[in-house]
Amino acid sequence: MPIKFAGEFEVQRGPEDVYAFLTDPNKFCPLLPEFRGVTVEDAEHFTVQVNVGVSYIKGVANVKLHLAESQRPSRAQFKGQGSVAGGNVSMVATFDLMSVESGTKVAWQGEAQVFGRLTSVSGGLLEPLGKKQVQKLIDGLQAALHAASGGTV
Amino acid sequence: MSVDGKGWVGKAVPRKEEDRLLRGRGKFADDIKLREMLYLRFVRSSYAHANIVSIDTSDAEKIPGVICTLTGSEIASQTQPFIEMAPDPGGKIQDYPLAISKVRYQGEPVAAVMAISPGIADDGAEAVQVEYAALDPVVDAEQALTDASILHEEAGTNKVWGGVFEYGDVEQAFREAASVIEIDRMHFHRFSSTPLENNVVIAQWDPKDERIYYSCNNSFPSFAIQFLAAHLNVHIDRIRVQTSDIGGSFGIKITSYPQMAVCALASKKAGGRPIKWVETRSEHMISSAHGNERTFRDTRVALDKDGVITAITSRHIDDCGAYPRYEPLGCVIWSQVFPGVYRFKNARIDFSQAVTNKCPVGPNRGYSRMQHLWFLERVVDICAHELGIPADEMRLRNYIRPEEFPYTTPNGCIYDSGNYPKMLEVAKQLIGWDAWKKKQAEARKEGRMLGIGIGTTLDSGTNNFGQAQIVNPGAPFSGNSQGANCKLDIYGEVVVAVGSCPQGQGHETTAAQVVADVLNINPDLITVRTGFDTERNVHTGFSGTYASQFAVSGLSAVHGAAQKLKAEMKRLAAFVLKSKEEDLEFGVGGQGPEVRSKSNGKSINYWGMANIVNVNSAVLPVEMHDVTLNCRYIWRAPFKVPDIKRKYGNLTMTYASQLHIAVVEIDRETFIPKILDYVAVDDCGTVINPPIVEGQVYGATAHGIGAALLENCVYDSVGNMLTSTFSDYIPITAMNMPTVKYGHIETPSPHSYSGAKGMGEGGAAPIHTISAALQDALFDKRIFIDDSFNNPDSLFRALKGEIGRADDIVKVERRA
Repeated sequence: MPIKFAGEFEVQRGPEDVYAFLTDPNKFCPLLPEFRGVTVEDAEHFTVQVNVGVSYIKGVANVKLHLAESQRPSRAQFKGQGSVAGGNVSMVATFDLMSVESGTKVAWQGEAQVFGRLTSVSGGLLEPLGKKQVQKLIDGLQAALHAASGGTV
Repeated sequence: MSVDGKGWVGKAVPRKEEDRLLRGRGKFADDIKLREMLYLRFVRSSYAHANIVSIDTSDAEKIPGVICTLTGSEIASQTQPFIEMAPDPGGKIQDYPLAISKVRYQGEPVAAVMAISPGIADDGAEAVQVEYAALDPVVDAEQALTDASILHEEAGTNKVWGGVFEYGDVEQAFREAASVIEIDRMHFHRFSSTPLENNVVIAQWDPKDERIYYSCNNSFPSFAIQFLAAHLNVHIDRIRVQTSDIGGSFGIKITSYPQMAVCALASKKAGGRPIKWVETRSEHMISSAHGNERTFRDTRVALDKDGVITAITSRHIDDCGAYPRYEPLGCVIWSQVFPGVYRFKNARIDFSQAVTNKCPVGPNRGYSRMQHLWFLERVVDICAHELGIPADEMRLRNYIRPEEFPYTTPNGCIYDSGNYPKMLEVAKQLIGWDAWKKKQAEARKEGRMLGIGIGTTLDSGTNNFGQAQIVNPGAPFSGNSQGANCKLDIYGEVVVAVGSCPQGQGHETTAAQVVADVLNINPDLITVRTGFDTERNVHTGFSGTYASQFAVSGLSAVHGAAQKLKAEMKRLAAFVLKSKEEDLEFGVGGQGPEVRSKSNGKSINYWGMANIVNVNSAVLPVEMHDVTLNCRYIWRAPFKVPDIKRKYGNLTMTYASQLHIAVVEIDRETFIPKILDYVAVDDCGTVINPPIVEGQVYGATAHGIGAALLENCVYDSVGNMLTSTFSDYIPITAMNMPTVKYGHIETPSPHSYSGAKGMGEGGAAPIHTISAALQDALFDKRIFIDDSFNNPDSLFRALKGEIGRADDIVKVERRA
């Protein structure tokens, strides 16, 4: 079963700045929980490494991502595939940016599908764990954009 | 001779195997360690259905201690695809032991890494990079038959096999029926066997003599070598297979030949170094073999005014997983028990089998027949319930009657013997039927959900492999056979070798009992060789241990070999003792086992006879040079090739039967079904060794209870197996096994020399019995048990009305 996430938040930055931040792997990727590193191939392709651990299963996820859809500054969609802890993951993450009075409203949605050992041995834990990690990412994103704006929320 | 003078067959002779197994002195495949041995680890697919874009083994090969790797494309270049037993389109499927361009189930091996230690092999496997392009998975057999996403492009369809089995006059029976009951859908779930010992293979492709040596725990080696020789392009005599003690198989280890092939090819690549592969539990769960899953659609049952079933029609869809392997034999094997224990003569079953993106199936204990027997038992209980006939009475009205044996079924099988009403009577007495009925009535007044269920099943043993021709007219199989050798060794020891491959069934003991009776000596004086070895030259193409047949095929072969030996010993002794053969008697004297002359009082012991034949042969006259005291005998079952067009003929030699009764209560708070009482009554004809039979009944009962309540191979919608460890797949153990009351009756088989019937699979009787008990517990809530697996979650959902709603499943038309 695919794990689906969605939500929205607002930041005090204009859509152009937010878009630039979200599509820059060197800025965005370090916000991922358990981030280990990123290798940027070109403006639209990069590989991110994060630590993954569910209970006693621990490993490193290597996910190749590319900017599959780009409508500057209103929409960005990343698609990726990679290996994780003896299995594989495929994912899609979409950000829709809308200009609002206070800055930008970011509506985001993601879908991840995990294949292999991780699902087999800890399938029931994946969704809550994933949601927790996504929330960390969004919190980090908000904080980073806030800090970058130099203002207060 | 035994103390009571009645022989050893039928006695509770202690198992000869017990001493070494209980003291930890058994020798299993994993105990074998060879010089320069390498350890193999498979790289397995995480996807259920995907194209392989690339495989990069270079990082693995750089790891110190990794000797080499192997991929599917390397294998494809030097082998043939495995033989398929299906006709086209199933016959077009190309099955290799490592995936080549595509993976078709999660856990499918895509590469192998060979290293100097298991740990380094693990590291190597982790370092292999495989890039996949995911495809739409198909995890449901009915969906697979739509061919929306095809697993094997070369076949062009997911349907492996299809055929209609029709007998009698179905239409007339429905026209004349007093009532017709329709059941929309029922489902028999997927589970496995979880033997204590997983698969193990040690293979060596010896470059010096170009022979392949296997030590393994495959349970049907003569079948495996036929597949391996053709696949590896080697003469079959160049493959030697040895087994020793085996920690359970239950049929699942029959299909380990793909892994055996990889190990041999890995050894070849590694320059002839021996390769050892020891399967982990998770590997076993996701990729060894599961039992067949089956869905029953559009069932219609015609009944007369007394509730006697006169006809059944139904559509059955079998899910064989990603590769057929032993299939499509399961598409006909179920018909060995076509009417179950019932008398109906008119039936039409439209049977199909499909591949899905799940682990391939294998012949799991009760193979293919238990699914059908569960279906019939559900039909009987649902009809009884709808017509208001008590479950025991419904069975008595429909059972084949004792006086009708030998009974010919609508499809030509000949049930040898049985007495199902008697078994029911014994089981009811053992469980205290009337007392439980009273307790049940009281419990229901309190709102408790307490049910009593009956399951009556058959364990058909000793196959006629001619039934393979019903699914594939070109299949070169028919009949059945087994080999054995009985000899006096050079020092006069009696040594027996059999072509079976025991995994705890006590073959050493029962074979010794049979020979002891022939030679009139104690079983302790007989050595029965452990395990299987192609070089003993006692195997035929059917040799192995499967399909409830040793008591008939194995012991008939042993009996034949012992008789041959006895005849030679008589000739020799008559010559030496200067006596007539008819004056000779066999027994034990002051110098051990001997043959003595009643006419002149002279005797010769076994050492003396063996000495003359083997090392003192100058004393033998030329006319006795054919006496070897080393006698091979091949037993052949008296089968004929079935009528392929009509799908008619005798498919099995013996029919052991089981009748179980369970009392089950569903907890009102937790929905946990608890077994309050359980009885298993068995009839396997003449019992050769009562404790061994009783042990097998307990084992089969445990297996069935586990399957009914605990064990389920669950896949998600994309083909991830969610129950790949014992955290999620809960096997039955001594800790969660209820107390079972055991009873037996004996209706000797007229089809075997001893009256014995093959046994040990138990027809998965507990699955039927527990389904029936749960049905009875929920009788007043309009819930039907339409699935063979029932755990607290499914019962909770049923009680919430999410599943099992009678009005969605069953329709009743009363005409009279």
